[in-house]
Amino acid sequence: MDPDKSALLEADLVRMAQRGDMASFEELVARYRDKIYGRAYSMMRHEEEALDLSQDAWVKGWQRLSQFHGESSFITWMTRIVINLCLDQLRKQKRQRAESIEAMEEEGGGAIERRMPVVNVNPTLGLERAELRERIDRALAQLSHEHRTVLVLHEFEEMEYKEIAKQMKCSIGTVMSRLFYARRRMGSLLAGLRRESSE
Amino acid sequence: MKNDLQLKVQSWLDGELPEREARQVGEWIARDAEASALAAELGSVNQAMLRNEAGVTLSDSREFYWSKIELQIQREAERNRVHAPVPWYARWRKFMGPALGVAALACVMIVAIRQAVPPTYDEISATIDGMEAVTFHDQSSQTTIIWLQDSTQAPMDQKPALPSAQPQDEPESVIDM
Repeated sequence: MDPDKSALLEADLVRMAQRGDMASFEELVARYRDKIYGRAYSMMRHEEEALDLSQDAWVKGWQRLSQFHGESSFITWMTRIVINLCLDQLRKQKRQRAESIEAMEEEGGGAIERRMPVVNVNPTLGLERAELRERIDRALAQLSHEHRTVLVLHEFEEMEYKEIAKQMKCSIGTVMSRLFYARRRMGSLLAGLRRESSE
Repeated sequence: MKNDLQLKVQSWLDGELPEREARQVGEWIARDAEASALAAELGSVNQAMLRNEAGVTLSDSREFYWSKIELQIQREAERNRVHAPVPWYARWRKFMGPALGVAALACVMIVAIRQAVPPTYDEISATIDGMEAVTFHDQSSQTTIIWLQDSTQAPMDQKPALPSAQPQDEPESVIDM
């Protein structure tokens, strides 16, 4: 740990790291490691996997540092790297195991979500922020990988449909469809969790 | 409500529709209660998630987390160095390097030998009808003196005397070696 580095601006640290200064890169890792790990965890829902993928992302970041030209912030650039690694890992896992009946149903059009009645009451109304965060986290854990990923990319990373389709290697129509069912499922899960806690 | 209309409501909510279509869909949502309720539901989930991602904190220390990254960076760098494709000029240099070294060494040795050993001069004889030649080589001054004589004009027994310190006759040719 270099105490002098902690006072430096992100842009200066990136520039120095691009010139091969590993201490500057270490400072960037220290600043953003929680964010990168958090993104990996939100997609994988597995602590060990998220830890490994976040560290792999930093290694990739170091190797590709010369390709970073500051079009976005450094953390946005790094987040894209970890998202790509997570998506690769999820695809690998998908190939390795047969898809569950539930997942196949979701891919087939989400008939259950389509027929679900519209939730008239805001499922998040009146919740404390910390409580809401926890409920969102619990609800996310219950979604399929595809639905969770599309929600994370759209709601947390604020990506457009086109960008999500590119990242997930699918059509914009599939993104729209997945996002719709994921939101409806999320709404019903949050409402269910709210009912559970009030009982 | 049909699925394509549901997706239209969502696209409108996410600002993914072109301006003109967005205006039309917005007007329809305002008139249609079901579409309006769906938009409100999707919007509430969207708004709740936008600002409320659960923060995750790593339990590993900074040093421990970094140590694995650093190790992996070093390993990858080493692997890349070992498996890096060798360019053609590097392969050529690999074989030509020693050959050029040997050639350079041979040149140096030849030059050194030539400088160490005093030069020897072979006597060259040429036969020209009616011509006679007498040579004298002075090692100390590295000078060779050649007398040429046309025997058709002078009798053979009139050979020139060996040159003294101050030669009487001017030699026909003097070659400094």
